Amino acid sequence: MISNMLRFSPSFFEGFDDFFAPEFSAYAPTRHRERALTYPQVNMGVTDKSVEVYLFVPGMDASELDVSLEKNLLSVTAKRVTEESDDSDAIQRQERFSGQFKRVITLPEDVDPSKTEAVYKDGILHISVAKREESQPRKIQVNV
Amino acid sequence: MTKEMKKTDTDVSKVSKDQAPENKASENKTQVQTMYPATDIHETKEGAMLYIDLPGVSRDALDIDVDQNVLTVKGDINLATPDDLTPTYMDVRAGAFKRQFTLSAELDSNKVDAQLKDGVLKLVIPRSEKHKPRKIEVKAA
Repeated sequence: MISNMLRFSPSFFEGFDDFFAPEFSAYAPTRHRERALTYPQVNMGVTDKSVEVYLFVPGMDASELDVSLEKNLLSVTAKRVTEESDDSDAIQRQERFSGQFKRVITLPEDVDPSKTEAVYKDGILHISVAKREESQPRKIQVNV
Repeated sequence: MTKEMKKTDTDVSKVSKDQAPENKASENKTQVQTMYPATDIHETKEGAMLYIDLPGVSRDALDIDVDQNVLTVKGDINLATPDDLTPTYMDVRAGAFKRQFTLSAELDSNKVDAQLKDGVLKLVIPRSEKHKPRKIEVKAA
């Protein structure tokens, strides 16, 4: 009983949304609950020599990340376990992704799967796949 | 842990000395697009625990401020991309995370403990002493 009385008031983390006018309520940070539709989020780019993939997977153990590359199909599989609470009432807000995920990314066809590097740092899984030698730009010397 | 606590403490003193450090900084910098980090909030008898997803944010790039009862968490995303990278696909277009939380008076905002690990920030904010649940002994009459 006492613990119920001492629960945080409803205004605990509210109030900030009040800075937002009603017409902008969709942008209020604590009001809308929808998160990104895909998990994890991915950024990707190419250089002359490689294809760089960045997956936003915070709070993982590097050994739990299952990364595989078959031809030009890159797939990352893992299970994300977020912190639990002994008391389910204690969870006021749960926005972070929890559970199994798999993301398959089609890389350009000129990648060389044998030259792949993966590094996990600050919650970012960075996978770098080299392009095949023959598809890399090369300088051609002009003979006189 | 004590180190992180101190860091937050200095931030608090900085805010009280310099009324608007944030505005000054943004005048000099071009505006970086920010996004709201996904957050879990747990409450316990001791206080509140926040888990904030900040992938790509290193300790140096993280900024936690408490001004009165508003807790601000900011962090720049650093992907360390090669200079000649041409983006081909982007789910994340923002360069930084930013989110503010209004703390209730029951929490002691001077004692925020922060830990950053693998892109997840854990904040522990204790209840102020007078708001902690107390057991009252009943004396025999």
